[in-house]
Amino acid sequence: MSVLFSKNSLDKVAEIISRYPEGKQKSALLPVLHMAQDEFGGWLDVPVMDYVATLLNIEPIEVYEVASFYSMYNLKPVGKYMFEVCHTGPCMVSGSDSIIDYIKQKLNIGVGETTTDGMFTLKTVECLGACGYAPMMQLGKHYREHLTKAKVDSIIEECRAKAN
Amino acid sequence: MSRKLLLEKEHVENIRLYDVYRREGGYRSVEKALKSMSPETIVEEVKKSGLRGRGGAGFPAGLKWSFIAKPEGVPRHLVVNADESEPGTFKDRYLMEFIPHILIEGMIVTSFALGSNVSYIYIRGEYAWIVDILQQAIQEAKNNGFLGKNILGTGFDCEIYVHRGAGAYICGEETALIESLEGKRGNPRIKPPFPAIEGVWKRPTVVNNVETIAALVPIINDGGDEYAKIGIGKSTGTKLISACGNINKPGVYEIDMTISVEEFIYSDEWCGGIKNGKKLKACIPGGSSVPILPANLLLTTAKGEKRLMNYESLADGGFATGSMMGSGGFIVLDEDQCIVRNTYSLARFYRHESCGQCSPCREGTGWMEKILLNIENGKGKISDIDLLWDIQRKIEGNTICPLGDAAAWPVAAAIRHFREEFEWHVNNPIECLTRNFGVGHYADPIHIPELV
Ligand SMILES: Cc1cc2nc3c(=O)[nH]c(=O)nc-3n(C[C@H](O)[C@H](O)[C@H](O)COP(=O)(O)O)c2cc1C
Ligand code: SF4
Ligand code: FES
Repeated sequence: MSVLFSKNSLDKVAEIISRYPEGKQKSALLPVLHMAQDEFGGWLDVPVMDYVATLLNIEPIEVYEVASFYSMYNLKPVGKYMFEVCHTGPCMVSGSDSIIDYIKQKLNIGVGETTTDGMFTLKTVECLGACGYAPMMQLGKHYREHLTKAKVDSIIEECRAKAN
Repeated sequence: MSRKLLLEKEHVENIRLYDVYRREGGYRSVEKALKSMSPETIVEEVKKSGLRGRGGAGFPAGLKWSFIAKPEGVPRHLVVNADESEPGTFKDRYLMEFIPHILIEGMIVTSFALGSNVSYIYIRGEYAWIVDILQQAIQEAKNNGFLGKNILGTGFDCEIYVHRGAGAYICGEETALIESLEGKRGNPRIKPPFPAIEGVWKRPTVVNNVETIAALVPIINDGGDEYAKIGIGKSTGTKLISACGNINKPGVYEIDMTISVEEFIYSDEWCGGIKNGKKLKACIPGGSSVPILPANLLLTTAKGEKRLMNYESLADGGFATGSMMGSGGFIVLDEDQCIVRNTYSLARFYRHESCGQCSPCREGTGWMEKILLNIENGKGKISDIDLLWDIQRKIEGNTICPLGDAAAWPVAAAIRHFREEFEWHVNNPIECLTRNFGVGHYADPIHIPELV
């Protein structure tokens, strides 16, 4: 895969840069890294980060240090679908442990692992601001809330169906 | 029924859309402020309203705005803090997701009052779908002449941009947020200089919570004095509370800060009581950073008065017997919950979220997590409890930003009020793996609600 944004994405990058003052294009780093991660396979490989550095006219190290600081940037490949289950206090008292155990057993992976077919990754994350709708997880752009074992089953099926 | 100012229209169908919001009286405050008020009079109204910051610290908003520096030729910025990552807190999300225009409306008025021609919403990265909702609301406001150049023909220009974070609790701290907005790691800055003097791109900057800015709408529409009539003492206006944990009706509620904690938990208008008919054991009333209270101290203060859902009453007794309003993240624990495990979970959170700049926070949060996990797993010693106490004391007050305190307080309060349960864990290393301590003397075993 060559590391090059599409014309549309480049226009979008230019629009994002224009939101910040002249010469402060580094401010666009977080949004542009999100775009890069979405466009280049769900994680930030070194060539991708270097490309972003070139686009924003900053040093590669400035990109690496940011990419490694924020939890939403993946520095390693992840599965096509990432189950990010919250396990912080409020979710824990509302039953997140048993949901995590169930997903582990169902997908036969541990936390932080990816299924051998590259389909699913299981991650535990800290509070996502959905504590009243616990247990919950993030799946792509959206939240899945009030999780039950049956709901987990249907989410897994839904992902498999989408992938086919 | 509690009076609603922010969520009054929450059940109006399609209130998320500009046309509906406008038809329901939206954007009147922009017309009033820009056409008939000066920036100074707006700040005066906010001072009169007594509005306190809704992000956690409760600092008076009008006072904060009066500190903003106005050097000649240097742009100023309003940055709305929508990072909302404090465990237990999900109120800003609710407001932005369902009534996004109230935030945009409040931001236009505030931008005018502060002289900010370009304002930003810093939103946590995980709220990705809300970014779209906000961007649509901004576009609609722009199409209708409430944003852009020469708003309503008054000569005031204003743009609002949404800046998406990428997963870091620390970026809710205002100087870390500013660093993040500049495209850097979220390392808090040493203050002074305060953001009002030197904020984003070294320009004077005001950072306020989403709910604080939304409150500008009723304050401008009805006047600061009217707003101040709601509530008690220095807890004026209404507060959004996000209630979660072991209750029948988790959700976001707008309260007028005159109701008691007991009513809030047991009335069907709010939490609807403890789930499955269980007993109330403990509660963290203002987001994970504030001290946990056992049921008896939660419902009544040490003086024996009913505790109310407001800044003063929740803090009554200081940390010895009280807690804090904080962000309004109200976490309820029933008799089946283990205090050690809950404290461990929060300690892990703070270790994960520490930016690592100061050694007391970086090292201390790691130590606390490890010790708590040991106790939780039946491998602790009685001296560990004292060690925990000692570590939290060494973190508190010795760090660049308040995350250190936020990590120390939950541990301190858990030991202060539930030491017996920690000791039980140590003394019953096998049993603690299979059952919980239960309620103990500190809970409220036979609660008879009066008002329900
Ligand atoms: C570790 C930490 C996290 C914070 N997180 C948030 C947050 O998510 N949202 C927020 O509004 N304020 C948060 N704050 C408070 C902000 O620093 C700041 O006080 C607040 O945004 C000011 O707005 P207000 O006066 O309207 O409350 C946090 C503070 C600390 C120390
Ligand atoms: S207290 Fe913790 S989070 Fe705050 S600056 Fe220091 S190390 Fe970073
Ligand atoms: S604790 Fe899980 S979403 Fe807040």
